[in-house]
Amino acid sequence: MIELQGISRIYMREDGTPVPALRDVSFSIDRGEFVTVRGASGSGKSSLLNILGCLDTPTAGTYRLDGEDVSGYTDEQRSNIRCRKIGFVFQSFNLLPRTTAVENVEIPALYVGGRVDRDRALDILGRVGLAERAGHFVSELSGGEQQRVAIARALMNDAPLLLADEPTGNLDSAAGESIMRLLAELHREGRTIVLVTHDDGVAAYAQRELLIRDGVIASDRPLPGVSGRVAAVPATG
Amino acid sequence: MNLAKTTKLALLSLSRNRLRSFLMMLGVTVGIASLTALASVGEATRQETMRRFKRMLGTFDMVIIEPGGASTRGMPSLATVEPVLKFADAAAIAAEIPAVRQVSEMQFAIDLDVKYRDKATSPSVIGVASNWTEVRGEEIAAGRGITPDDVASLARVAVIGQDVANDLFAGENPLGQTLRIADVPFQVQGILASRGVGPGGASMDNTIVIPVTTASRRLFNRDYLTAVIAQLRDPTQSERAIADISALLRERHGIIPPADDDFRVSSPAAQVTQVTEVGSTLSKVLVGVAVIATLIGGTVIMSLMLIAVSERRREIGIRRAVGASRRDIMVQFLIEAAAVAVLGGIVGVLIGVAITLLITMLGELSPAIMWSAVGGSVLLSAGIGLVFGLQPAWRAANIDPIEALRS
Repeated sequence: MIELQGISRIYMREDGTPVPALRDVSFSIDRGEFVTVRGASGSGKSSLLNILGCLDTPTAGTYRLDGEDVSGYTDEQRSNIRCRKIGFVFQSFNLLPRTTAVENVEIPALYVGGRVDRDRALDILGRVGLAERAGHFVSELSGGEQQRVAIARALMNDAPLLLADEPTGNLDSAAGESIMRLLAELHREGRTIVLVTHDDGVAAYAQRELLIRDGVIASDRPLPGVSGRVAAVPATG
Repeated sequence: MNLAKTTKLALLSLSRNRLRSFLMMLGVTVGIASLTALASVGEATRQETMRRFKRMLGTFDMVIIEPGGASTRGMPSLATVEPVLKFADAAAIAAEIPAVRQVSEMQFAIDLDVKYRDKATSPSVIGVASNWTEVRGEEIAAGRGITPDDVASLARVAVIGQDVANDLFAGENPLGQTLRIADVPFQVQGILASRGVGPGGASMDNTIVIPVTTASRRLFNRDYLTAVIAQLRDPTQSERAIADISALLRERHGIIPPADDDFRVSSPAAQVTQVTEVGSTLSKVLVGVAVIATLIGGTVIMSLMLIAVSERRREIGIRRAVGASRRDIMVQFLIEAAAVAVLGGIVGVLIGVAITLLITMLGELSPAIMWSAVGGSVLLSAGIGLVFGLQPAWRAANIDPIEALRS
């Protein structure tokens, strides 16, 4: 699913000094894996996630996503890839305010062409347990519900890869746990999930842990994995 | 993303910030309202001017030959014109210029006392040919007009205008009565239909018409004319007819260019066009001002859109993350700007039409809504939205989604 080969990302300061955020990073993630990416802030985690999400292009190296070499893609091509292959779940939900749940879920469908399938959006909302709340404005939903809407949005175009950046960071533990169960369920259905988190309890849902330090992969180890069993380790954050 | 979806999105977004949308519309609305009103009122005025000229001049399918060179000004009367245009000239024009269907000779005099019993007035007195009513498009309200027999027999008969009828015969039936023009008795045999006011605002009903032969030999004792009206077979051929008539008269009067002509040949249609063009220059200036107002409306849209773009950075970041391309964002904001401008334009047109109806009602003009101006206004506002939306849309499209999502 994901194949990184010698990926570097170097930012330029205004005075021209190069600041490397990622240095020669190589790893691959198979289809259907549930991987957590961990690391201190400033470790290069966000840079990696931006590249994985095709929001940014690497300075050097190749990135193959679902068999496609996307490292040299133009902005337009990357938009297209994001649209079809990647579903984002953010810490702060990033839903459009003053817009209903179902309208938020439909947004990705606006950009694939063809008509927007309201029934599909409602189905997906039903799957994340929000059938009753479809017509509610985002501001009327709880944090956990908002994150479910965001997950539904990530599923709208049937993206095979979900990128979740601290998805439980703004939620209480109960809501966080139910969001993790939902992600685990999506993983069981065959979706590839890359999860960035600080939270051990949340990380425990993954099968594999990538640790980033100073822009390089410091460790890559399998986890016992609770995905598949239901939340043996409770979320603590 | 297709146009229908984008437009729906744009309207949704506009409806979610009503105050801003209203302010964005306002400038365009004011500009377009004044544009529509000015163009329409201008057109109504032009049409009214044309109508008044037509009332004064009768039909437009003619040219007028008058004595005196190009420098002569004012209404020529027997007392002021050069005695150069003769009955024989008129007859020659009728006989020799193929473009001319018929001619009508006129002798025009002012400041003559006209009396009936103890009442007196001094209308214009016009000696006319029997075809005068036809050539000028005059109508007889009562009795009959000047007939060929009247002209042939030098009859002392008169057809009077409404003002004369009112001034001399208040309450009485003028038909069959005898009035005196400079002490010569004339029997009233007809009354002209009212023609109202001329382009200068003066009444056109203060006239008496009599047979031109009677005028020439029994009243004025002058053998020259103040005007000859030549009716054309084809109104579009007036230039040609003017040239032919001028050539004929030069020959008859023994004028060899570069010597100046002692006559003028003019086409009223051309004069009217000139007069109305002066008016339309003014309205063009006003329309220009309205266009500038509309453009200022465009700059309002631009600045408010720029604010909207920075307020909506997160929205833009979200849309970009879930798959919107730069172009999608650009189109979204452009359509928003165009939609708000078109809405403003439509409201402006409605207000402009209302203002036009009000003004034409108060000014007793017939309303002439210029639908071309209405259509043009809507197009103009769409164009303004697109042009002034360009910079904000460009800025929106180039927001870095990573930055926008972090904020």
